[in-house]
Amino acid sequence: MLFHTWTFLVFFAVFYPVYLLVKGTRLKLPWLLAASYLFYGWWNPIYLVLIVWSTTVDYLAVVGMANTRWKKPWLALSLVNNLGLLGFFKYGQFVVDNVNALAGWLGLPLALANPQVRFLSQAVNGLLYALGFEPAVPEFDYLLPVGISFFVFQSMSYTIDYYRGDVQFEPNYVRYATFVSLFPQLVAGPIERASNLLPQLYGTPRITRDDVSDGVFLFFVGLFKKIALADYLARYVDPIYASPGDYQAPALVLATMAFAWQIYFDFSGYTDMARGIGRLMGIRLMLNFYHPYLATGLGDFWRRWHISLSTWFKDYVYVPLGGNRGGEFHTYRNMVLTMLISGLWHGAMWTFIVWGAIHAVGRALTRALEQTAFYEQRVPRLAKQVVTFVIVCFAWVFFRAHSVGDAWLILRRIASCELADPALPLLLAALVVSIWGYQYLWESRLSEVLTRPAVRVALLVGMIVYLAAVVTSSDQAFIYFQF
Amino acid sequence: MARDVSNAHSRPAAPLGPDESRAAAEMRLTPRQCAVALLLVATLFYVIPQAWERLEPLPMGPRYRIPYRLGNDYWQYARACRAATAGGDQTLFIGDSVIWGHYVSTDGTLTHHLNEQVGGDRFRNLGLDGIHPVALAGLVESYGSAIQGRHVVVNCNLLWTSSPRHDLSADKEFSFNHPDLVPQFQPWIGCYRASLSHRIGAAVSRRLPFLSWADHVRIAYFDSTDLAAWTFEHPYDNPLAALRAGLPSPDEPPLPSPDARPWSDKQIQPLTPGWVTLDDSLQWRFFRETLRRLSERGNRVFVLVGPFNEHMLTAAGRQGYDELKRGVDRWLTEQGVPHYVPPALASEHYADASHPTADGYAALARGLLAEPAFAEFQGDVRMARSDQ
Repeated sequence: MLFHTWTFLVFFAVFYPVYLLVKGTRLKLPWLLAASYLFYGWWNPIYLVLIVWSTTVDYLAVVGMANTRWKKPWLALSLVNNLGLLGFFKYGQFVVDNVNALAGWLGLPLALANPQVRFLSQAVNGLLYALGFEPAVPEFDYLLPVGISFFVFQSMSYTIDYYRGDVQFEPNYVRYATFVSLFPQLVAGPIERASNLLPQLYGTPRITRDDVSDGVFLFFVGLFKKIALADYLARYVDPIYASPGDYQAPALVLATMAFAWQIYFDFSGYTDMARGIGRLMGIRLMLNFYHPYLATGLGDFWRRWHISLSTWFKDYVYVPLGGNRGGEFHTYRNMVLTMLISGLWHGAMWTFIVWGAIHAVGRALTRALEQTAFYEQRVPRLAKQVVTFVIVCFAWVFFRAHSVGDAWLILRRIASCELADPALPLLLAALVVSIWGYQYLWESRLSEVLTRPAVRVALLVGMIVYLAAVVTSSDQAFIYFQF
Repeated sequence: MARDVSNAHSRPAAPLGPDESRAAAEMRLTPRQCAVALLLVATLFYVIPQAWERLEPLPMGPRYRIPYRLGNDYWQYARACRAATAGGDQTLFIGDSVIWGHYVSTDGTLTHHLNEQVGGDRFRNLGLDGIHPVALAGLVESYGSAIQGRHVVVNCNLLWTSSPRHDLSADKEFSFNHPDLVPQFQPWIGCYRASLSHRIGAAVSRRLPFLSWADHVRIAYFDSTDLAAWTFEHPYDNPLAALRAGLPSPDEPPLPSPDARPWSDKQIQPLTPGWVTLDDSLQWRFFRETLRRLSERGNRVFVLVGPFNEHMLTAAGRQGYDELKRGVDRWLTEQGVPHYVPPALASEHYADASHPTADGYAALARGLLAEPAFAEFQGDVRMARSDQ
């Protein structure tokens, strides 16, 4: 179920009044959990098997840790289970393809079989049959559950935090399952920590008028970002990246810049909507994006881009690896490893690994520079922002390309400087430039202009009227659902 | 086991890069501002379509018909209904392309010939190309509310019962005209497989004139596509300039341009349609629903059955058609609905299975005007006129 569809509107129109009625009762958590599972199972009921499995194993792992002095085996169970789920469903095919390719190249008589998930649908159908129902779940060989990387990370962070003693045991399974599956942020984050979200699931949520107005504004901002901007940009980017050999340098440069904004609008639009829905429910989800293309360095970029993931990797990968505690070499090593794993998290393709590597190398090369007084004080802010944006766009080429070969082709064609009409719609360019201008103004000394009530009201009215009058309905999924 | 302590999740939230309160303030409205904004949106939703209707010229006249390119523009249809019923007491003809006049220009349609033969502006063409009875019921329900207390002639084209596919009673999915006008949920149409979201959207659009108006702008000025798609076709053009183009002409022919020659000149072979019986027909059910809705709105309804090209049928096909025709005739008689079942026109007066040529429309108009039931029906109009 996508936030920007009529189906979700109907779902929420049914869910919300009941939620308001039961939010102060014992029915609150069962209602939230049922709604979240309906929301997730709408894509494919099979997904519910996976999320219930992941939730239950992690819950049992924490129960195990709470009842014994030997916590490590239980933590290992949780990690193996979660990483095993990710490994099988997300990286299984990638590993098989690469191992088989390598074996072929080395001339070894080895051929791994493709990972099959037919057993899942067979198990569910068997259960239905045993209960007297007709088998209703279609059988398929391959499955990449929507948002698996998000809920697995969220659930896993709880077991790690409990192991470290950072959070207390949550005895209520329904509350824990609701924390893992809460529908606004289930499929594309923000990846919440138990320390932030679980306490909000206790007691009666207080929903103020400010929560409602902020929630409505956030939702419409997210909706506008997604269907008025991201989906519009996608129409320019998709055909160019589908056959980059057919386009010249200007179109490829503009398509790469357009993709940079597309993925930002798409992903931050989703999280804005998620946060808006959360606010309407009296739940505050964490900030996930903050003007990433105004970053003045790669470090700054990662403090503004997908904040919930970058802090996750910092807390659960970078710091456990040693962080910056072992001297310069270890700091750089840990930084590079973290970025590579972050790239791999995004998808089982070499393009994502190269994307992570570019950020890793870029961060390693610029870290020292960014800390110098010269860079901080003498280099104009706009120049830093432009350079950072160029580096980020360079990395996006690999992220968006269908293969590493395609990415090289794009870079070669850009370097050739052959010219041709890029046919970028002026309206599209104007929209993006105006958003960039808005963000720039917001971070400047003139930001007070944007806080004036008339400007705020005009923005909201303009967005809603634009959406209703100009944009046709969209059922294009969010880019980050695939991760 | 450790005790449940709700506030004991003591670890602070992960440190955030930017100042969250500053970031949150970027997207914040006070409740009052939010209410003002939503009120303004509601006002604009109400005012914009009305203002547009006043500003955009509509050349409504006796020869007017919905331009072919606006065939899916239901806001324009509603507006044409309002214009057609404003002031005069003309008899309104509604139905599919047989009424609209698929193979003829505006001076070859049935209403034009009727006006010409009676010498005046007494008949108006509110036909819509491709509108089958299931969609017609939705059109009348949602966009034809201006048709009240009028004399209305409804065309009954039995072509729509010539197969389960035409009848929309087949289970296999296929695309058909005007899907947004058919019932989205009840009754469930097996061959219509739109997503739930699309169905809800279609149902909402029918109730929100602003959304229909937005469709009108897209269809009339942006090549029936959305603004984004239009800008890719015209990347450096000003979209506002496109709004100065004006509405398409009612004389604009369909695309591709139809072959207006008689059917017999086009090497069309006789057919044996797989007729659907009236008892099983979804289209017939909704045709009756249209009559009921029009009558409820105080309209006086007359039904024109056909004309169907019986020359294009095999003997078996004609037998099935005769049975259907008799069934329709019987039901209309039982219900006291005045109607006319014209005899088949001359073979050369048909361009295909159901559409007359211009000469065919002239002959049909003569037949209709000679029909006593129609004269009586029209007499009501004249009486009403003399009362005024």
